[in-house]
Amino acid sequence: MWVTNLKIVGVVLGTLAVYTLIANEIPQVQSEVPQTLTLGSNVTPEQLVAAGEKVFNGIGGCTTCHGLGTRAPNLLSDEKGTGPIGVRCGKREPGKSCKDYLFESLDNPTAYVVPGYQPIMPVMTKQLSPEQVWAVIAFLESQGGTVDVTGDDIAKSKPATPGGSSAGGGSFAGSSTDPKAIIQAAGCLACHKLDGQGQVIAPDLTHVGSRRTAESIRRKILDPTSSIAKGYEKLAGIMPKTFGTMMNAAQLEALVQYLAAHK
Amino acid sequence: MSDVALLLQAAADTSHAYGEFPVIGARAFVWITAEVHLMFAAFVLGVPMFAVVTEAIGIFGGDERYDRLSKEFTRLLLVAYSATAIWGAMLVFGLSTLYPRFWAYLTAIFAPSMWVYAALFFIESFTLYLYYYGWDRWKKGRAKVGHWTLGILLNVWGTVVMFIANSWLTYMMSPPRDITPTTDPTTIKLWHAIANATWMPINVHRVIANVVFGGAIVGAYASYRFLAARTDEERAHYDWMGYVGNFIAMSALIVLPFAGYWLGREIYQYDQSMGITMMGGFMSWLWVIQAFLIAVLFLTGNYYLWIGMGRIPGAERFRPYTKWLLVVLVLGAIVWGTPHTMIADSKELAAMGGSHHPLLGALGVMSAKNTAVNLMILTTFLSFLLYRRANTRPVVPWARTGTIIQAGMFAIAAGIVLFYGIRGYFVEAIVRIGFSVYQVLAVLACIVGVTVIDILMARGAQSLGAIRWGKMPPRSQYALFILAVTFTWLMGLMGFARSGIRQYWHVWQVMQDTSKYAATPALGYASKMISLCVLIFLCLVAFVFWIGGLAEKSTFVAPGAGDGGVGKARDVGH
Repeated sequence: MWVTNLKIVGVVLGTLAVYTLIANEIPQVQSEVPQTLTLGSNVTPEQLVAAGEKVFNGIGGCTTCHGLGTRAPNLLSDEKGTGPIGVRCGKREPGKSCKDYLFESLDNPTAYVVPGYQPIMPVMTKQLSPEQVWAVIAFLESQGGTVDVTGDDIAKSKPATPGGSSAGGGSFAGSSTDPKAIIQAAGCLACHKLDGQGQVIAPDLTHVGSRRTAESIRRKILDPTSSIAKGYEKLAGIMPKTFGTMMNAAQLEALVQYLAAHK
Repeated sequence: MSDVALLLQAAADTSHAYGEFPVIGARAFVWITAEVHLMFAAFVLGVPMFAVVTEAIGIFGGDERYDRLSKEFTRLLLVAYSATAIWGAMLVFGLSTLYPRFWAYLTAIFAPSMWVYAALFFIESFTLYLYYYGWDRWKKGRAKVGHWTLGILLNVWGTVVMFIANSWLTYMMSPPRDITPTTDPTTIKLWHAIANATWMPINVHRVIANVVFGGAIVGAYASYRFLAARTDEERAHYDWMGYVGNFIAMSALIVLPFAGYWLGREIYQYDQSMGITMMGGFMSWLWVIQAFLIAVLFLTGNYYLWIGMGRIPGAERFRPYTKWLLVVLVLGAIVWGTPHTMIADSKELAAMGGSHHPLLGALGVMSAKNTAVNLMILTTFLSFLLYRRANTRPVVPWARTGTIIQAGMFAIAAGIVLFYGIRGYFVEAIVRIGFSVYQVLAVLACIVGVTVIDILMARGAQSLGAIRWGKMPPRSQYALFILAVTFTWLMGLMGFARSGIRQYWHVWQVMQDTSKYAATPALGYASKMISLCVLIFLCLVAFVFWIGGLAEKSTFVAPGAGDGGVGKARDVGH
């Protein structure tokens, strides 16, 4: 019986060992806690690229969609024969440099959407600090291109980033009262559909004016849980509650009137 | 959450927010106690389901063997209950001393349900004592039915207890969206917190998983007793018991993925970023390991059946088919395990030559994987069917027609699965997701339809000889051990997935983990913890079995005894 017992122990331990070994042989990815990134004005391109790679593969969550070839364009490898992002970024929008294009992609991702993809990318300047944003841009430029991000870019963008402005009550899109610009900057189309653009996760806003009054729209923006559209009860609470502090009164009013006119 | 908010939350954490546990650390202590507690809890919830069904077969089928089998399962529960309670108490002590701020938050919301939980656990324990110790006293007539009712009550209490505990952990995953970091927990309504988005999917998933787990552990117990048996009669009894355990585990396993789909869908609907983290984010490799484990389960379960056909007269007819079944299972496992949506860095992408492997990329998508797993389920069902029919020859006049219809059902189901699998490559993702429903429905319809026809066809069937219970090579019993270890490891892995997708949050986007263990570890570390938990659990279960053996000798009855004997006993698994 001892032999049988030993065989059983061997089978159990052997099975556990195989599973543990396989799990240790595959790539190891740990989910890190977001860390504050501090980069001085004399930061070097190498430091920026190294920091950007960490953000790209970690807290930025970029790899969740980019690099799969299904949800968003590949950035680190070839995209339909145009090369990695560092090669093609300067050719995407006429007259826009690689650096400007990449910043626009992170700050206002619906401004230019690569044909064949949906405008689902969130506004990353709301989620990442200016240091993190510019580090990612430097990292992306390094994928086949030239890194021209400097410490000045970080310093210049600090006051303008919504992350910074939200702390003291700020505005979207440089205080523009163009409702389309506000909608793009706020990332509304990441969930809502409007005039044929955007996602269908949240209610379609194309005819929102026929369902809600201007007052109701205003209240909904300021307090998203004040009323929930029928059929979307499960999504109650998903809409950020911070829009009231992220745009100024003129912007809010422009947005409300624009939406209310969508009968 | 912005940096400012993170800093504010960190500042709000006092020095009393976290405790420390010597040597292994706070997180490892809570991980081990929670996991081992959960494994025992699954055991004491799964086995009573098993026991009450076998007792019913004994009562209503008139076969005393089942009644004794049921009692033998229940005997194992007595010590297992104590172990469940001990590990549960250790978990509570761990949470209250190592994570006091988080524990205070949970109790502020769930305190009333915790008292109900304790009361129900108390009632459940005494129901078990009545159930076990009253076994021989309430043996006949109405008293026996009353005794069986106690078994049902035992399951009811246990299930409610599990549902309550599930509400706490699912709240951590998917708190209602109107609850924010600034919400005072004492103002949160209890039912609002309980009925969160993932509560019911987890409940259903766990009920089914407990049946699978209970069957697998009973199978392992039987295989040990088989290997230790001194007589042919005892060996025959435990061979049969092992078969029943494996049959129930594999049958419930077939349904489990559907409950898993529902849970996954609810997670995506609740928070898409959580769903993406789970399937395409840092946890993406976990699903390759899961595919490997499930492939082991399918292959080992089928292997056990094929070996078992060696003790069935008439099974030789079907032996040539098994190699083709093996081919389908292996191909299916390979496709299912093909990596696709993986986090990869620039070097890995460059080495691969793109975002996907140039040849295997097409096999890693859901269209291919759903097709593979559905064909594996159909193949396993076919194995059961061949096993069931092995020693019989149907005599009903429509037997040939019935067999042709059954074959047609298999062909149609496989055709539908393949059609939607291929079509999925040519449509949008949102349409493709819907195709999996058609594939699943085709497979389920086939299983139900073929089974009904088979039961009708088996009426008055000519026997080609009785199953030679006990005539199994020892390697078949080691297969049952592998199944039990794999089921247990898989449970640990899925627990890590469910808990890990919260990442650095105690309560998703409501209460952040600001301890030094806030980062969610990689799979390598997790696998070591899972293996350790499985080892602790199996050692304790072996001890439970040994204690159970001391209390009472084996309850086997020699084949032929009772009303039905072996010939009747085989009907359970068939």
